Amino acid sequence: MATARPGWSRRAQYGLFFSFLAVIAGIIIGLILLAISLAAPAAFANIRGAALDVTGPVASALHEVTATAEGLVTGADDYWDAARQNGELKRERKAMLQRMIEAKAIMQENLQLKATLQLRQHSRDTVAVGRIVGSSFNSPRRFAILSAGSSDGIAEGMPVRSPDGLVGRIIDAGQLASRVLLISDRASIVPARLLRNGMPVIAQGRGDGTIDVRPLEVGRNPFKRGDIIITSGTGGLYPPLVPVAKVLKLDDDGAVAVPLADPANTSFAIVEPAFEPAAIAAEKAPAAADAP
Amino acid sequence: MVRAALTQPKRIGHGPMPFAGYVPAITVVAASLLAALPVVSTSGWFPDFGYLILLSWRLLRADPWPAWWAAPLGLVNDLFTGYPVGFSIALWSATMLALDLIDRRTMWRDYWIEWGLAAVLIAIDEWLQWRLARIVGADVPFMMMLPALVISICVFPLSAWLVSRVDAWRLGR
Repeated sequence: MATARPGWSRRAQYGLFFSFLAVIAGIIIGLILLAISLAAPAAFANIRGAALDVTGPVASALHEVTATAEGLVTGADDYWDAARQNGELKRERKAMLQRMIEAKAIMQENLQLKATLQLRQHSRDTVAVGRIVGSSFNSPRRFAILSAGSSDGIAEGMPVRSPDGLVGRIIDAGQLASRVLLISDRASIVPARLLRNGMPVIAQGRGDGTIDVRPLEVGRNPFKRGDIIITSGTGGLYPPLVPVAKVLKLDDDGAVAVPLADPANTSFAIVEPAFEPAAIAAEKAPAAADAP
Repeated sequence: MVRAALTQPKRIGHGPMPFAGYVPAITVVAASLLAALPVVSTSGWFPDFGYLILLSWRLLRADPWPAWWAAPLGLVNDLFTGYPVGFSIALWSATMLALDLIDRRTMWRDYWIEWGLAAVLIAIDEWLQWRLARIVGADVPFMMMLPALVISICVFPLSAWLVSRVDAWRLGR
């Protein structure tokens, strides 16, 4: 759009006028699309998935490069104080072996108990394994891009975890890549409990990489520094007994925790089927009812 | 202005690039594609690259692209960055319109005024994102957006410099 007045040329005046109209049309179209995508978040799933398919593989390829570079740096660092690390690891290994034997005993006992109770074990099969290859850069929202998509069997709503703990859940699925709502996003609420005493808590993201944990029951602040939060499986979206976060500091009626699975350092992310598929259907139903 | 520069090369072999008219739009798309970088940010303090480059071009030139291109460029940004579809379309078109209206009013321009304008527009961008996040259920305190806002404003001169270099290159100056 030219900024100066176009002079006496009628053609130039019309050109300026129509370009103004085009921009205003652009604004209106944008606002309409925005309203649709707010009211019905699934409306643009297809083109968003296609865009993910464009960027996902690029990010995956670049990820290899940065991972290699980082590996070289940390590798060199490991050589630097190998002797001290070696001693430390040996000590840790000794302690771990003891714990492992204890754990094995507990597991056997557990199996026997379950057999007597005839509990139906939920099979926890893996849908797909991918890498976290990118994230939202400038946004109050916390999304990550996973290098596996619907061609691997991924669908919206599936929980994503890493060996360290819960990462989040799928909100957009493309053919080759998908977008994950991280548990540190403000809109992510994970029903959880304290590992120490099984007290039910709610873990809600704070949008800056940390998580707010609040007890369900009002009363004394039950948290201690270093407490581990695990999923409770309530609501059926997330499987139970997945580590979520570690309490960092206490505040008035809850605590601030850091996710145990740091998406920046997660090598592999495992996508699991929704724990209770009915929960996803129930979650989608009100959204559909809201849509005009 | 650009149109004159496109038609009259000063020296043989030093004219504008064959696709000089499309270079600004391509750089904006490239900036949006930075969202594909394999960096996992847990804090979200990175600037909104696409919008920064768009602002830099628009403040450098009155007509880097036909004004309506802002809408498709915004769509590309929405898709790659994961903003709700329509957000950048509306914001970027509105930015083009607002800057045109401002251009009619301002008597003179210098770097400080451009930086100030960019700062205001970036602040509007961050504020709208914050409002939208509230609407869809991610109700974060606005304080959390401040680091991203300050970083974006500080990065703007760098992006303006980059864009001026690209502009000189595409016009063969």
